Amino acid sequence: MLMTSDIRCGTVFRSGNDVVVVQRLLGIKGGRNGQVKKMRVKNIVTGQTSELGLDMGEKFEEEHLDYHKMKLSYVDGDTWVFMDQESFEQYELTKEDLGDNVGYMTPEDDFELEVAFFNNKPVSVTLPTAILRTITYCEPGVKGDTSGKTFKPATLDTGIEVSVPLFCEIGTKIKLDTRDGSFIERA
Amino acid sequence: MTIDILCRVVDNYGDIGVVYRLAKALSDLDPALNLRLVVDDLAAFRALAPAVDPAREVQDLGNWTVVRWDHPWEGFRSEPPRLVLECFACGRPDFFEACLFDPELPFTAHIVNVEHLSAESWADELHRMPSLTRSARVKKSIFMPGFTAATGGLIIDRRFSRAMAAWDREEDRPALRRDLGAGLALEPGLEDNFWVSVFSYERDYARIVADLSAFHRERPVLALAAAGKSQPCFMRAWEAAGRPFPAVALPFLPQETWDEVLLACDFSIVRGEETLARASLAGRPFLWQAYLQAEAHHLVKLEAFLDRVRPFLGPDSFGRLAEASLAFNRRDRDAADWRGDESILPLLRDAEAARAGFRAFSAALSAYGDMAAHLLTFLRDLV
Repeated sequence: MLMTSDIRCGTVFRSGNDVVVVQRLLGIKGGRNGQVKKMRVKNIVTGQTSELGLDMGEKFEEEHLDYHKMKLSYVDGDTWVFMDQESFEQYELTKEDLGDNVGYMTPEDDFELEVAFFNNKPVSVTLPTAILRTITYCEPGVKGDTSGKTFKPATLDTGIEVSVPLFCEIGTKIKLDTRDGSFIERA
Repeated sequence: MTIDILCRVVDNYGDIGVVYRLAKALSDLDPALNLRLVVDDLAAFRALAPAVDPAREVQDLGNWTVVRWDHPWEGFRSEPPRLVLECFACGRPDFFEACLFDPELPFTAHIVNVEHLSAESWADELHRMPSLTRSARVKKSIFMPGFTAATGGLIIDRRFSRAMAAWDREEDRPALRRDLGAGLALEPGLEDNFWVSVFSYERDYARIVADLSAFHRERPVLALAAAGKSQPCFMRAWEAAGRPFPAVALPFLPQETWDEVLLACDFSIVRGEETLARASLAGRPFLWQAYLQAEAHHLVKLEAFLDRVRPFLGPDSFGRLAEASLAFNRRDRDAADWRGDESILPLLRDAEAARAGFRAFSAALSAYGDMAAHLLTFLRDLV
């Protein structure tokens, strides 16, 4: 069984006869004993997308899909093309299908990811938990502040904005957690 | 219509207090409702509802059925759950879960997660938001109480509405205070004092007692220390200061009497969420202590609440309230030796001026309607 707390962008799970893929995590809300994970999901049986809130305590059946190791090959408009590393076949996913994950990868990357297939169609990707990215813009670094406890916004080479410690500079390579976009360490 | 209300007591009486109040309000709105309350801590429930017997696994309480959380009651098998209020995302007992998710059942069941009260803006976003369960037959959604028209609002039961109206008639307040005071065994002749109720988490109350002493020299005070964690702290500080003003340690009170105390007081110190809701509706100045949370998230909740009150208070009154509230809440533990840097003297002196603002805040909350009525409508729309 899959707990709500295990769910991340790209997770595919079953609710009754419906199979849904998480496209975007919209935050964790709530307080004390209860927390709700807000997300946008796509029903890959009907194609409908919706926003919903899942309680942390809820359990779901994980959908057992076929996973293939691939690399992002190129991006053509809103279409992202991945290449199977064994068969060298190419598969397309839309920017909407990929959701938040588009913010963590570019065709220049060398890392492998897993593309999930449902009824022989690609439906989502699962990224490595930690990836390297480069900061393309942030306010100047604060020398001497190496605590890593105070954060500032920074734009990455993929165009998304994340929070990084004050000591980071433009050009700094950082290791990110793709589950929530949090800073792990300077690479 | 049968509604199963699930509640796990995390600590104190806040969770069961809300659930008990909600159940009473639902029954009041529709006496024909069949309510089945599933509660893990019947001893805590008994503190609020003395007729509850903690030793009994299943019992009738008025026209409700009360079931102990871990008891595999056959009633859930003979009449399986259709409408479930899972209060504060408390989860579901195993036996109940098996009955609820029985794949042989032909009907759709609905779980509504009634969440904690929060003034944060996401309460608007999550209210009535769909959720999911592992079964297509069991639907789930979220219901948020709150301080805006976009949420489910606060519980405003009819009895409380009547009491609010009565206490709002200034000419009736002395007589009402005499009656309430007699019921609480207060010394007679204190009806004209400035009444202050105290109900918070543990802390060193020396500063607040000093402020009340200073204010007592300007206007006679009566302090009512509610039963619970703050009472020994407050009474200890009061004793140490030489009993500088009249103060009474109240016994544990029924909810209806506690409501009257909040309505009777000129100023209150309140805590948690259940009493925050009542104090907000009471329309009298108060200082709120939020439940302590990791990474000081209680300060986020406090600031969200202050933002809700801000439009109703003048800038000076709001500034005093915000300053005292932040000082009172800035803490990393609740303990009898915790000394904050709060000063409530400016709030006490400002209470009369701020009263109209708190009254207007209460009126705005009342205008959003009764949470129990909104919830009942929501449930009826589901089935």
